[in-house]
Amino acid sequence: MSISEEQVRHVALLARLGLSDEQIASVGVELNDILVQIDRIQSLDLAGVEPTTHAAEVVNVTRPDVVRPCLLREEALRNAPEQQDGAFLIPKFGG
Amino acid sequence: MSKDRLPEVLEKWEAVIGLEIHTELTTLNTKMFCGCPVAFGGEPNTRVCPVCLGLPGALPVPNARAIESTILAGLALECDISSWSQFHRKNYFYPDMPKDYQISQYDRPFCVGGHVDVEMDGAESVRIGITRIHLEEDTGKMVHVGGSEGRIAGATHSLVDFNRAGTALMELVSEPDIRTPEQARRFASQLRLVFLTLGVSDCNMEEGSMRVDANVSVRPHGQAEFGAKAEVKNMNSFKALHDALSYEIVRQADELEAGGTVAQETRHWDAGKKRTSSLRSKEFAHDYRYFPEPDMVPFTFDDDFIEGLRASLPELPDARRARYARAYALPGNDASVLSSDLGLGAYFEEAVEAAGGPEMGKAVANWVLGDFSAHLNAEALLPADSSVTPRKLARLVQLVGDGTISGKQAKAVFAEMVATGEKPRQIIERLGMQQVSDSGAIEAVVDRVLAANPEEVEGYRAGKTGLIGFFVGAVMREMGGQGNPAMVNEVLKARLGG
Repeated sequence: MSISEEQVRHVALLARLGLSDEQIASVGVELNDILVQIDRIQSLDLAGVEPTTHAAEVVNVTRPDVVRPCLLREEALRNAPEQQDGAFLIPKFGG
Repeated sequence: MSKDRLPEVLEKWEAVIGLEIHTELTTLNTKMFCGCPVAFGGEPNTRVCPVCLGLPGALPVPNARAIESTILAGLALECDISSWSQFHRKNYFYPDMPKDYQISQYDRPFCVGGHVDVEMDGAESVRIGITRIHLEEDTGKMVHVGGSEGRIAGATHSLVDFNRAGTALMELVSEPDIRTPEQARRFASQLRLVFLTLGVSDCNMEEGSMRVDANVSVRPHGQAEFGAKAEVKNMNSFKALHDALSYEIVRQADELEAGGTVAQETRHWDAGKKRTSSLRSKEFAHDYRYFPEPDMVPFTFDDDFIEGLRASLPELPDARRARYARAYALPGNDASVLSSDLGLGAYFEEAVEAAGGPEMGKAVANWVLGDFSAHLNAEALLPADSSVTPRKLARLVQLVGDGTISGKQAKAVFAEMVATGEKPRQIIERLGMQQVSDSGAIEAVVDRVLAANPEEVEGYRAGKTGLIGFFVGAVMREMGGQGNPAMVNEVLKARLGG
């Protein structure tokens, strides 16, 4: 399994990463190295091994439906580059 | 296309409709993954925290009651509850979603399968399959500034409020089993009633706590393959759902009959213009790159847990309707109307109880569905907010039942109850409305009336039995409208028959 330059560009677009041609090339090499490792895992006989999404064997972690303090609005908006009427102001998009 | 062409179109074309219904779990105290309170509206960004703002390092933890509510909904709709499930990240960019991914569920939703039997007046009910019910988080809200009518087109900038972001959102996906707009409307409204009965949401479509999207396509009758489908959004009432589907079905059929094709796209219902239009969103193939949410561990539900929840299910609408029909001997339509409005149903049951029990059911139902409902509509009241309490209405029904006042007088008393909030007894006394049920008094009046109208008496005895109305009217006039009508009839017939 290997990844083409076109696929690297597509993934970069999906992640909204603006990569230069040079970076596309080097990221491609890195991603292909990772895919080599995955190929090795896929070559193993894993019949009978349960699919794993977490290393810890813990399930059903929840919290009770109890209100906790919110942030003050000034705190919430502190990192906003721009704000208006208590809201995050964002530039024109889409449309 | 102002005239309703739908019936004619559906003769040639079969519509195939599936619904996606998003329901905010508004009855929870807190959001899905953080302790911020759940409410509608309010000052922007006053119910936010690092988790629902998607700040780096914040750790979302699922709300136990949100998961229970979703499983409860699944059990009420005959779904299978997954023994093993988990959350996934759905990756896309939109400014109302602060993390740039939505925590949702992918291939392991909490509930799968299930169905709703949709009641169609008179006709056989239609079974609509449920594909799945999963849990996810809602987005924030945006106000677009500078464009016309708050639209994004032409806007100079937008304002984002994250108060709603992170609210638990239950998504139900139906099978494409729906064939008409009316089936879709009834399916969605039956689901709403189930969710209201379970108490998981206020299901307020105008405020967006219940949102219905529809996938619609048409095909010639008998064709197995589906046609190309459009997804219709922005229907914020059941009527809008019905109207949008009707419009869209006719539009697609016209397109195909003219030799065109149906574009696979998202369309926006405009309730004012009564039409759908293409959203013309950029051609981005959806590529959400779902992967298991690493911040959360999986869920397993054993039988004890599931059966415990099943045992806590309240009486569901179908069962309630059947009980009303059975226990109170109500006709099907009365039972349907009373069981499809939780507030009215509760009022009715309380009034029946106060009036003396199930045998008073039909008499109470007549009042609740008649004058009482008219009064609620006229004043835009909820049953619980009326000054006519279940106890007062029950008393009124009893006073008619025991002959103290006539049904006609009772209507006047009810109007006074609405106007003044008085008890029926007080009104009857104040207006001197007592009904005369003294047989001696009635007989005396009847005899006077018969003596004064010998020709009519002869006519009645010769077979003109329709004259009974004339006699009743004359007796009632004599008695100032206060004679017990049943007794007046009885005495008249006895005297005239002889």
